[in-house]
Amino acid sequence: MALQLRLKGREHSIEIVARRPELVLRIDGVEHRVAVMPGAVMLDGRAYLFDEGVTGDRHFVRIDGRTFDLEAVDPDLEEEAAAGGLDVIRAPMPGAVVSLAKAEGDQVRRGETVLTIESMKLQTALTAPRDGVIERIVRQEGQTFDKDEAVVLLVPLEEDAREQTS
Amino acid sequence: MKRIRSMIDTAGAEFRRNTEHNRRVVAEFREKQEAARHKRPQRDLDRLSKQGKMRPRERIEKLLDPGTPFLELSSLAANMAYGGESPSASSIVGIGVVSGREVLIRADDPSVKGGAWYPLTAKKIVRALDIAMENRLPVIHLCDSAGGFLPLQAEVFPDRYMAGRIFRNQSILSKMGVKQLSLVFGHCTAGGAYIPGLSDYSVIVRGTGAVFLGGPPLVKAATGEEVTVEELGGADMHTSVSGTCDYPARSEEDAIRIGREIVAQWDQERKWDCQREAPEAPAYDPVELYGIIPDDIKKQFDMREVIARIVDGSRFHEYQPNYGKTLICGYANIWGFKVGILANNGVLFNDSSLKGAHFIELCNQNATPLVFLQNITGYMIGREYERQGITKDGAKMIMAQSCSRVPKFTVMCNGSFGAGNYGMCGRAFDGRFLFSWPNHQIGVMGGDQAAKTLVDVKVSQMKRAGQEPDQAVLDKVYEDTRKAYLEQLSAYYSTSELWDDGILDPVDTRNALGVAISASLNAPLGDSGYGVFRF
Amino acid sequence: MSGKSFSKVLVANRGEIACRVMRTLDAMGIASVAIHHAAEAGAAHARMAGEAVEIAGDTPVAAHLDGRQIIEAALETGAEAIHPGYGFLSENAGFARMVAEAGLTFIGPDADVIALMGDKISSRNFAQKHGVPVAPSVMPTEELDEFVRQAEAIGFPLLIKASAGGGGKGMSIVREASGLREAARIAASEAQRYFGDGRVYAETYVERPRHIEVQVLGDGEGGAVHLGERECSVQRRFQKIIEEAPAARLPASLRDEICEAAVRLAKAAKYRNAGTVEFILGADGRFFFLEMNTRLQVEHPVTEMVTGIDLVRAQIEIAAGKGLPLAQKDVRFEGHAIECRICAEDPERDFMPETGRVARLRVPDRDWLRFENALDEGRAVTADFDPMLAKLVAHGPDRSMAVERSIAALKDLALLGVTTNIDYLGRVLDHPAFRAGDLHTGFVSEHREALAEAEPEPGILAAALAAAAMGLREFRDLVEAVPEPHATIGGWRN
Repeated sequence: MALQLRLKGREHSIEIVARRPELVLRIDGVEHRVAVMPGAVMLDGRAYLFDEGVTGDRHFVRIDGRTFDLEAVDPDLEEEAAAGGLDVIRAPMPGAVVSLAKAEGDQVRRGETVLTIESMKLQTALTAPRDGVIERIVRQEGQTFDKDEAVVLLVPLEEDAREQTS
Repeated sequence: MKRIRSMIDTAGAEFRRNTEHNRRVVAEFREKQEAARHKRPQRDLDRLSKQGKMRPRERIEKLLDPGTPFLELSSLAANMAYGGESPSASSIVGIGVVSGREVLIRADDPSVKGGAWYPLTAKKIVRALDIAMENRLPVIHLCDSAGGFLPLQAEVFPDRYMAGRIFRNQSILSKMGVKQLSLVFGHCTAGGAYIPGLSDYSVIVRGTGAVFLGGPPLVKAATGEEVTVEELGGADMHTSVSGTCDYPARSEEDAIRIGREIVAQWDQERKWDCQREAPEAPAYDPVELYGIIPDDIKKQFDMREVIARIVDGSRFHEYQPNYGKTLICGYANIWGFKVGILANNGVLFNDSSLKGAHFIELCNQNATPLVFLQNITGYMIGREYERQGITKDGAKMIMAQSCSRVPKFTVMCNGSFGAGNYGMCGRAFDGRFLFSWPNHQIGVMGGDQAAKTLVDVKVSQMKRAGQEPDQAVLDKVYEDTRKAYLEQLSAYYSTSELWDDGILDPVDTRNALGVAISASLNAPLGDSGYGVFRF
Repeated sequence: MSGKSFSKVLVANRGEIACRVMRTLDAMGIASVAIHHAAEAGAAHARMAGEAVEIAGDTPVAAHLDGRQIIEAALETGAEAIHPGYGFLSENAGFARMVAEAGLTFIGPDADVIALMGDKISSRNFAQKHGVPVAPSVMPTEELDEFVRQAEAIGFPLLIKASAGGGGKGMSIVREASGLREAARIAASEAQRYFGDGRVYAETYVERPRHIEVQVLGDGEGGAVHLGERECSVQRRFQKIIEEAPAARLPASLRDEICEAAVRLAKAAKYRNAGTVEFILGADGRFFFLEMNTRLQVEHPVTEMVTGIDLVRAQIEIAAGKGLPLAQKDVRFEGHAIECRICAEDPERDFMPETGRVARLRVPDRDWLRFENALDEGRAVTADFDPMLAKLVAHGPDRSMAVERSIAALKDLALLGVTTNIDYLGRVLDHPAFRAGDLHTGFVSEHREALAEAEPEPGILAAALAAAAMGLREFRDLVEAVPEPHATIGGWRN
């Protein structure tokens, strides 16, 4: 159960090896004795002063005049993305499409509204599960759908990456 | 508290001989344990990896907080049963820390006959849930079992302490407010389906996890209905239609993550306020236990030397040091927890029995858990002792011990014979945990003793029948009895039958007791009160 | 000259420059008025001002460009003058005129001078007329023979480009007469093909050009002084990131020549207030007029630090009719100053702007250091405005000391929550070529590889990862939530 921190696209793993008499972490496979206090970290007996700033998922650490822009890898998201679970927007309940905010081929950002549906006289905005491109709009304005039906598909991540590199 | 002054000559010949002997004994134990844990037919391992499943021990490692202990219980259960077909009784049980909480983990082992439950599997699970009840330990079930082992159903199914008891215990646990979580990695068929069914929370892995009373073949045979595993009891069906399971998981890792997060929501049992001090490592190296335990069960040794290698700082406050000297009593700390220790230094006489009974009363008054270190051949017998009332003095000790409100822990260090086993909190006396060292022997009497007794009986029989005792026949009776006894006296037989909670490498005793005592404090201290003492 | 004094001034800007102007207003006992868009409510400059007026606009930038609203705000609050800062309306002749028509004082030059200098052609012609060197060029033409004749007259090397185009199409550098005709022919045909306009243009090509500029102050009546030069050669995406005063390795005679040219221009234009004359300087010592900025420059603090003159105070006093604060002979220069522009941008992605939030700001406190900013911890860094977040300005007794101090201050500065160029700036300053003063506007691309971030030292990386891990609630809980004795027993297995 290692923590993965991403730095410039590369993942680094951090595991707890021991807590007493001092904390031992295995960082990228190497064991280090660690003590972290506000503004200072002791690593194998050496002290490093640091500044830290957290905004959203980004964790900035500045040590010795160098800034590390780190992000904790969410294994949930990684797994779900790998399984393609983030490629689909499903209807949470039966209803009809009221309006489409995006068209096929449009770029979307995670959390951005893609379409609005109406069910039981209540309107609900359905948002993109991740950043990506709309591949297909399965249910158009006015069309109805059942619970759990896929209403919008995103271009799968691998294809997306291939298109961007080619 | 004063430190025990060891009298052991660690450079002496006896120490060396004992060390060699005990290292062999422990190596043999480790070998058996290794085989029980990891030796599996390749076919079974291949099947697991083809299904994308982890081995049960990998699941446990991922579930535990990293860098924390896991006290595995009864790792050699069933090692002398079923021709060795059910290593660890096809089930892994232990105590560890998950999301900062002490929990009992119970895992099916799908690498053995699909995780089918043998009679001893049921016994091990029932015992595990008893431990959970006695110590108020939340339980995490890692389910992956085909159900009862059908050829032995008569020994699995019907009786009071067989499989049904598992579900009874689950229900009672829940009633007691002790949480249970099931992570369903594989099939939970028939009775096994009730494990998640009776858990407070359950997570099921999509694709491999399934819960049903009868699997597709049984359904087909019974009603002719053809149905897939997924439709019948898959993750999506149970989490979105039947509500039998609570959380679907994408993978085993995902299930473990969800499980850890569920545990993190639980309120923690408040431990009762046992006296605690800052822990201190023993002043004498526990490895020296190998040189102290004798290479022959008949050789006496000073149990203070053992205490010195188990307790904090080797410090020991000895109670009544000059009275009833064959039973050492006194206070010490183990991993910081104050305990009262009773350890045998010979046969129990009247005075040692009274001292033991009294010390047990003191510990109950003081709310101090009891640790029994057994090396006992029994209560002294003979006219003189009977006249002094050895039976009623022994009864006082048994009464005081049985009715204790404090948690009790027993370590079988060398031998446990006759009624001494009872006074020193043998298996029947509901100690919270009982561990054995691999050299240990247990029985109503020793092998030689039993063989001699039976030969005497045979001679009497023959004489009554007017026959001349045939030496060849008598020799055979002697040898057969001795052999049968030896096998059944051994710690491996004991642990195979779940007469203990597992064999310990003596060096591990301190850590095992630390985890066990810590766990025991989750249950509230019982009410004090005794039966009638016969004075 | 006696002049009047202002009692209240509206600062028509935001961010660090608004704060910087208000600091001087405060020191002079003049009340300040800030303007802000709704999106900037509670921002540092609005808090710092005596009064803050909200201005409307579809975007924050649009609001700051709405001169009419700003003048109304000044009138309503009773401000007598408007300081425009830099950017926004600072070089907008129309705005300057409106301010004057509203009976207010525009702290800057006359609208006519702004207009004159704001136009490439008119400013160039004006400079040439007053003996300030401009880069020789051939005006756009389709006549190849005429083009070649004029080009040869200018001399080599020459930069030839399509008159209509950009993007390097039809662009070439010609170093000898023999290649001229062919290069011109190709440029013309490519120009025709790509832009449908066959005209070509040529100008003197300056090898390894340096950007040298001169700070001037004019009284508006023909009097002007210079406060020395600044070098702003280190640029990316055609924008300055490091400026210094004085320029490194600039012979004294050449410096005087450049500064005198700048003063000549200011006097000729009857320039009033603070302004900057920018030049391009070739490796051969030739320099040419680029443009004149009729406002306070971003990099004005380096001049302030070496001269000890508060340029904003000088601007206000000149605007109030008090004339020049000092004569040329009284201008003293002491030491060296370097300014680093700290921007929300990613040097590894071609300096593309970045957004985020100021999660942590810790500024080293040194008497030789100025950190010009309007940052607040917790405030979002958006794409609404320029990506410049702050300016770090260090002074030293000499250039190498100023470099050392700048590097130390950058290292000690923590501005976290958005990707910045702070570490990149440190690497630029630390580069041997920079230390040697071997600068030109292509510095950043010339040293691209050397300026890339090196792999971190393993110990520092591990320390950073450990610090970040322990800063994550879930991980810290995992470390700390384990009870005793389990935490001490550790990963024991029986």
